[in-house]
Amino acid sequence: MLKVNDINVFYGRIQALRDVSFEVPDNKTVSLVGANGAGKSTLMMTLAGVLKSKTGSIEINGEALAKDANHVLGQGMALVPERRRLYANLTVYENLLMGAHLRKDKDGIRSDIKKMEEMFPILGERKKQYAGTLSGGEQQMLAIARGLMGRPKILLMDEPSLGLAPIVIQQVFDIIGELKKQGMTILLAEQNAFKALEISDYAFVLETGKITLQGTGKELLQDERVQQAYLGVKAK
Amino acid sequence: MELSLLFQTLITGLAIGGIYSLMAVGYSLVFSILNFSNFAYGGVIMLASFAGYYAMTLLGANVFVALIISMAAMAVVSLATERVAYSPLRKRNAPPMFFMISAMGLSIFIENLVYATIGAHFYAYPIIFEETTINIFGAALGKMDLFAIVFSIIAIAIMNYFINKTRTGIAIRAASYDSTVATLNGVNLSVVIGLVFVIAGAFAGISGMFLGIKYMAYPNMGWITNKAYIAAVIGGLGSLPGAIYGGVILGIVEAFVSVYITSTYRDVFSFAILIIILLIRPAGLFGKYLEEKV
Repeated sequence: MLKVNDINVFYGRIQALRDVSFEVPDNKTVSLVGANGAGKSTLMMTLAGVLKSKTGSIEINGEALAKDANHVLGQGMALVPERRRLYANLTVYENLLMGAHLRKDKDGIRSDIKKMEEMFPILGERKKQYAGTLSGGEQQMLAIARGLMGRPKILLMDEPSLGLAPIVIQQVFDIIGELKKQGMTILLAEQNAFKALEISDYAFVLETGKITLQGTGKELLQDERVQQAYLGVKAK
Repeated sequence: MELSLLFQTLITGLAIGGIYSLMAVGYSLVFSILNFSNFAYGGVIMLASFAGYYAMTLLGANVFVALIISMAAMAVVSLATERVAYSPLRKRNAPPMFFMISAMGLSIFIENLVYATIGAHFYAYPIIFEETTINIFGAALGKMDLFAIVFSIIAIAIMNYFINKTRTGIAIRAASYDSTVATLNGVNLSVVIGLVFVIAGAFAGISGMFLGIKYMAYPNMGWITNKAYIAAVIGGLGSLPGAIYGGVILGIVEAFVSVYITSTYRDVFSFAILIIILLIRPAGLFGKYLEEKV
């Protein structure tokens, strides 16, 4: 369970998030929908511990978010960052290993890498290849797999469909659906509002740093304002 | 061209090239993770030459023990430079330029500290090998050169294994590519950066002492790290294989120019190579980063 209570985040004097509060219950998929610059990535980076909120609190399973970003994964929350941000100078295998950096169970890591190769067959084929040489879709798979290697209970995904071909976007959402089935708690930030809302139990609309609308995925899909602003439906 | 002279020159070149490689690796390691040129590294290398000198003269250590002492001492000094001069900047997200200026200040400080305490003299190491050369195929090879080559290769091989095969080594490479994401993966940047400075310091311990044995220990010998810097840039700043090959290439070229042309032109050639390489391959021989696809 991720609980965000009244956070305000600034870049210098510019306020990027205003009084944001929400919850992601266990085993649920919650999505954050919003345009470019709405503050989705800022929120993700704040949850990951990289950016700091001036006010409020963030709790993971009742525990306050760690002060140092390198302790957040240990609390059970992993971020798959925007634009993948793979280590292009490392191989696919080494990228996966980095996802498990905090883990000491060598056998567990080995079996998890096998699991990832089953889930994403392309990664098994490209194990020794540098991550920088993968296609965009393959990179996204690797980024998700790297996030999973830390065995998080909560997975934050920032724009996993960004810049991908439609067929690959479908694959990415299939994987998210699969993870959801396995009981993963997911917070998904997406510009692709239609796909995100379809898969989500609950969703928020973020506009200029504020949550302006919320509801179940279905409710928001039906909402006229959401349809006009994010789903490309024209006003009647 | 006499074959034995050729062989002799090659060995001399490899020896000095190995030393350049060690120094260039020290530069490159720090550059790759903090993105600035650590000009204080020359000061640490100079201190190493004194550490080795005093280990042998005051403590009466043999060359092996002196090398270990020098490596250990410089690992500590190097880590201290990071914690005092760079870590505070890092915590405030200062731009690389600030690091460089801090490094220059530190370099001046170290040099003058030695002037003020030890003095401006040249200190020659005690004799290490009674007979300085060994005859192989009619070529008189310096024993110290051979020793330096072997020791440099061992040090570089160990470092190479550590950086490429161990999980900590992979974390260092990951952090050098994207420190924010490495942090998200649970990497403690402060520890990783400290470790990089420890390795660079240990390498300075080796190269500084070998330089001291070859050219004597003196307070402004840090200038020689210009050569290491050239080697690192030729190879591609931040690239470890680049630093190693850059050092070897530079060492061999210098040895051949000294023997077959004239030693006066040695540095002209070093800088000429640098300029030519930068004109043809601005990122250096190995400075090629795979761009992230969008």
